[in-house]
Amino acid sequence: MTTASVTNTEQYNYEVIRKFAIMTLVWGVVGMLVGVYIASELAFPALNFDIPYITFGRLRPVHTGAVIFGFGGSALFATSYYIVQRTCQARLFSSGLANFTFWGWQTIIVLAALGDVLGYSQGREYAEMEWPIDLLIEVVWVAYLVLFVGTLMKRKQPHIYVANWFYLAFILATALLHTFNNLAVPVSLFSMKSYSLFSGAQDAMTQWWYGHNAVGFFLTAAFLGMMYYFVPKQAGRPIYSYRLSVLHFWALIFLYMWAGAHHLHWTAIPDWTSTLAATFSIMLLLPSWGGMVNGILTLSGAWEKMRTDPVIRFLIVSLSFYGMSTFEGPVMSLKDVNALSHYTDWTIGHVHSGALGWVAMVTFGSFYHLIPKLWNTKMFSNRLINVHFWLATIGILLYITAMWISGIMQGLMWRAFDDFGNLQYAFIESVAAAHNLYIMRAVGGLFFLSGMVLMCYNMYKTIKSGSTEQQA
Amino acid sequence: MSQDNKKVTVETTGHVWDDDLQELNNPLPRWWIWGFYITFAFALVYWLFYPAWPIGNTYTKGIPGLNTITYVATKVDGTQETKTTHWNMRAKLMAEMNALRTEQKPYFDKVASKSFDEVSKDAELMQFVNSAGKTLFSDNCAACHQAGGQGKIKFAPNLTDDYWQYGGSYENIQTTITAGRHGVMPAFKTILSDQELSQVGSYVLSLSGEPNDTAAAKLGDAIFHGNKAGCYVCHGADAKGNIAMGSANLTDKIWLWPDVLGAKTPQDKLNEIKTLVYGGMDKGVMPVWGTRLSAEQIKLLTVYVHDSLGGGK
Repeated sequence: MTTASVTNTEQYNYEVIRKFAIMTLVWGVVGMLVGVYIASELAFPALNFDIPYITFGRLRPVHTGAVIFGFGGSALFATSYYIVQRTCQARLFSSGLANFTFWGWQTIIVLAALGDVLGYSQGREYAEMEWPIDLLIEVVWVAYLVLFVGTLMKRKQPHIYVANWFYLAFILATALLHTFNNLAVPVSLFSMKSYSLFSGAQDAMTQWWYGHNAVGFFLTAAFLGMMYYFVPKQAGRPIYSYRLSVLHFWALIFLYMWAGAHHLHWTAIPDWTSTLAATFSIMLLLPSWGGMVNGILTLSGAWEKMRTDPVIRFLIVSLSFYGMSTFEGPVMSLKDVNALSHYTDWTIGHVHSGALGWVAMVTFGSFYHLIPKLWNTKMFSNRLINVHFWLATIGILLYITAMWISGIMQGLMWRAFDDFGNLQYAFIESVAAAHNLYIMRAVGGLFFLSGMVLMCYNMYKTIKSGSTEQQA
Repeated sequence: MSQDNKKVTVETTGHVWDDDLQELNNPLPRWWIWGFYITFAFALVYWLFYPAWPIGNTYTKGIPGLNTITYVATKVDGTQETKTTHWNMRAKLMAEMNALRTEQKPYFDKVASKSFDEVSKDAELMQFVNSAGKTLFSDNCAACHQAGGQGKIKFAPNLTDDYWQYGGSYENIQTTITAGRHGVMPAFKTILSDQELSQVGSYVLSLSGEPNDTAAAKLGDAIFHGNKAGCYVCHGADAKGNIAMGSANLTDKIWLWPDVLGAKTPQDKLNEIKTLVYGGMDKGVMPVWGTRLSAEQIKLLTVYVHDSLGGGK
């Protein structure tokens, strides 16, 4: 691999991108495997074998951590370093800093998973990591910001390409969210345990300000950055509208920050907070769709490639799922819809139509373009990309259909009253009713995981041929 | 669609990145911008119906009279007051609970005013008992007694059989639910030798016709009825138990703490008994429900457990 990088050492730092790209695949397999396992535990609770370390409660944050921060995070590091260098025509300004972000980030993912399994948790969703890991994240993230901005400043292009705005917004917002949500006082210098600076409703609102914007900036804005580079590149067509990209960018980042409290409808937060969160979520619909519109209209005119180019197929489908889940989200944020959907599997289905359909699919599409470029070769097999596409699509459809049905069923069962005014169902009946749907969900996850494994094989063969070509 | 290639006549912004990345300067799609305005209009309307914007120490409450909720609040002194207020979560909950309680009240009142036997014989009222009882039981009792009340060996008694450790009359069951129970058996590890434990164990097995060592059982009989161990004090001279203290009947085939029926070999069955007698048992705890459920709910649950699950004998 070192020989492979020689040709590009002059212009761009590809070495760190290659490392992040490989870890994206590794964490993808690990995170999705854990996901399939915990989905199976929900269908068959005996699978926890009475071992505390592998119970659902501990493995669930391992799953979310590995897919969001391991798979998603590594993919964002890789693509942002690739895009910022190529669109600025500037090498990352410090290889040392770049390597530090790589090793730092990987250490964080491993430590976070260990902490989860051993039972150390702040009890904050997507921010379970205890304070020593939080401090490490802070340092690595600032290094990332410095490296990204430093490279932007070195650019030889007068204008900053749109993808970079999205990445920069993501880096800045994540720094802000991470810092404020994790303000906590450790019990002692040598204790893993800490207590949040916030309490009660304020604590919950801080957490969901973080949680929702983690979705907004980490899983939406940053992946839109990815989309804005790889869609026009793969389609060979210009971005449809510069104006739309400016407008939806600013609307998106302004409106997102207000919406977090919709995760707390019908709880102890003030009514007005809940109303504002609902309306700002509704107003987010079109700014979110701006990215989809720009992506799909960029691809229009290249429709014939849908038939021949499986990468385009991944990108189109990811944009479709993006559009669908950013419509579903605002609808679920309305008070009355939320009264039905809150605490049910519908939420899980919604998250996965975004996470599998949008985040993972756009990453797959981008990586099938990126990895051959990084190793200066061609994909080993287009047929396997196609098989991956279908495995992933079928997997998502099984997953979200199961969760829609079980979620709406739970919501209806929990609020059903009989003619006497008594609750019609006991809670346990809704658990029993979801059993088959939980099996279907696990099967859907297994499909998606198989596609991911197939991708790894395809990439392994590709990288291997790339490396031998370089050496020959 | 194939004509789209020709239609791209809109100018680009003039910038080129990474060899071929360009941006067209197409205007915003009209439906997109109108959609955006419509969501703003929707938000405005929503703000007229619900509490929305914080102002100083208070907040806007929507247009007065547009979206109100009326509910009945019970004050600390027991008097009731009807209130009408702007929409808020708490009032909505109160109003919904008011409505459901109004539906349930005539039935709960009937349950409260009638005797157990009268409730049991009133077919229409029993429909209500079964409807409310199923949910009350599932949400409060089933965690230990399991769905349907079949219980769990070494954990919680089966409520569907005819055996009642603390008595199966309506009154007994009502007392059990209201005040809870705490069953304790002392440990005999310092009182009986291993050989004596085997003997008394064999005797206990013989009482319900389980395979046993007859010679040992005979010696165990003497220990059971003797004053050194004094088993008969709680379990009775006839070993049929005593519902006043919840001591088990040892002559039937129902076992809760030693899993005699589940043990495969006679030796395993003996060990189950020996382990219990050796170490004693302090886990037979039924919590107090009198402070968590209302008296009517407990009365209804009593009838449900007695008539619909078990049938006290």
